[in-house]
Amino acid sequence: MQESGVYITLAGWAIFHLLVFPGGLFALGIGLFLKGADRKLEARLQRRVGPPLYQPFLDLIKLSGKEAMIPASAQRLLFRIAPLLGFTGMAVCAALLPVPGVYAGLPDMGDMLVYFYLLPLPAVALILAGSSSSSPFGALGFSREMTVMFAYEIPLLLVILAVALHVGGGRGAEFSLGRIVEHQLEHGQLGFNWELIPAFLAYLFFLPGTMGVPPFDIPEAETEIIEGPLLEYSGAALAFFQMAGAIKTVVVLGFGVALFFPGTLPGGPLVNILWFLGKCLALMFLTMTLVKAATGRFRVDQAFAFYLRYPTALAAVSLILVLARL
Amino acid sequence: MGFLSKIAVRSPWLYRINAGSCNGCDVELATTAFIPRFDVERLGCKYCGSPRHADIVFITGPLTLRVKDQALRVWNEIPEPKITIAVGVCPVSGGVFRGGHSIEGPVDRYIPVDINVPGCPPRPQAIMEGVILARELWLRRLEKLEAGGGERRAALS
Ligand code: SF4
Repeated sequence: MQESGVYITLAGWAIFHLLVFPGGLFALGIGLFLKGADRKLEARLQRRVGPPLYQPFLDLIKLSGKEAMIPASAQRLLFRIAPLLGFTGMAVCAALLPVPGVYAGLPDMGDMLVYFYLLPLPAVALILAGSSSSSPFGALGFSREMTVMFAYEIPLLLVILAVALHVGGGRGAEFSLGRIVEHQLEHGQLGFNWELIPAFLAYLFFLPGTMGVPPFDIPEAETEIIEGPLLEYSGAALAFFQMAGAIKTVVVLGFGVALFFPGTLPGGPLVNILWFLGKCLALMFLTMTLVKAATGRFRVDQAFAFYLRYPTALAAVSLILVLARL
Repeated sequence: MGFLSKIAVRSPWLYRINAGSCNGCDVELATTAFIPRFDVERLGCKYCGSPRHADIVFITGPLTLRVKDQALRVWNEIPEPKITIAVGVCPVSGGVFRGGHSIEGPVDRYIPVDINVPGCPPRPQAIMEGVILARELWLRRLEKLEAGGGERRAALS
């Protein structure tokens, strides 16, 4: 009897984490805020006024009221499922995300390898969307998406390995995100550890690639292949892609914070939530807004070569340094 | 629901159809968006690449024979409710191309134009005013749509 009670409480907490904090509402709210801040900051960098901070919320409300069209020649089922796939994948990721000082993640579930499998889901959703929409631009977009995805996943894997081996010490690798945060709160943050600074830089390079911001917005290049896989989406389905993108921003930034700078401030959970938000904002400004405002777009082969050269080399340096110390 | 409509019109996404324009108007449209002094993004606007994402559509040019079918097809792919703005004098009368052998315009022979922004090319301020007028018109349409209930396309035309 008592055991079932424990399970019910656990399930209740899991649902709470998935729907309210830190997944679901919390991640969505923060993600949309970050997107708004991104647009505002970019506009200010170009000395424009820019949209209000809450513009992404307005966009979502607008999109939910628009007509949702499905092209006559599309694969209807896949076309409908694709936006939901990316969104759910990101919601699960967000539920496992530790917010240092507030929420430790689920120690037995919040595994970095789970992230490694779930993080590409929005990209996979784009690939499905592009291939099912029966549009030539969608097909172009999805082949580009696949190419770029393979390129930026390799440095991510090396970064994850380097961190896992470092935290595991001589005892093997430690993949639990919750324990990695704990370890850093005791032994100092990894972002200040010289062995892992190259890995941190590699992660910084990974961020614009995975978020598809210029110069890596090759799959959705709106000026060449008119938004590629998203071309045929309208109304609520497009809103789901936007929400998935917003949550993904929080997830990849929060993942970076948890890996390298999970330090906490003295004070209550509220202070630490704001501190987390501040770190995400700084990371986003550095890797997305500044880069976006200042660059054009790579060709797909240039992006591929770029990722296989510099970020991979940086991450590999870290990995070798960590291995040498074991 | 009226409240939601008021929110929705603060996020107009723009799309451009070039129906045989000399590119002068298109350059002005770009000026409106990207130059600090004019910046339509402050109204919540964003230029989108796909006609399916658009709310407000700009048509430039006199609608030549060559692009007529394509322009009409793209216009039909824009989901309702949409507002059509004709930019420049070309869509109104053919402008400097008036009477040419390949001119099918004026545009409103084929497409219900909601707002004309005349000028050759119009100034960015005029284009921005067009966008502001379009938002008001859009709001009125949304309200009409709510009052009318089910008949979406009918209520919109
Ligand atoms: S109105 Fe003038 S500037 Fe605009 S497309 Fe026509 S000729 Fe060119």
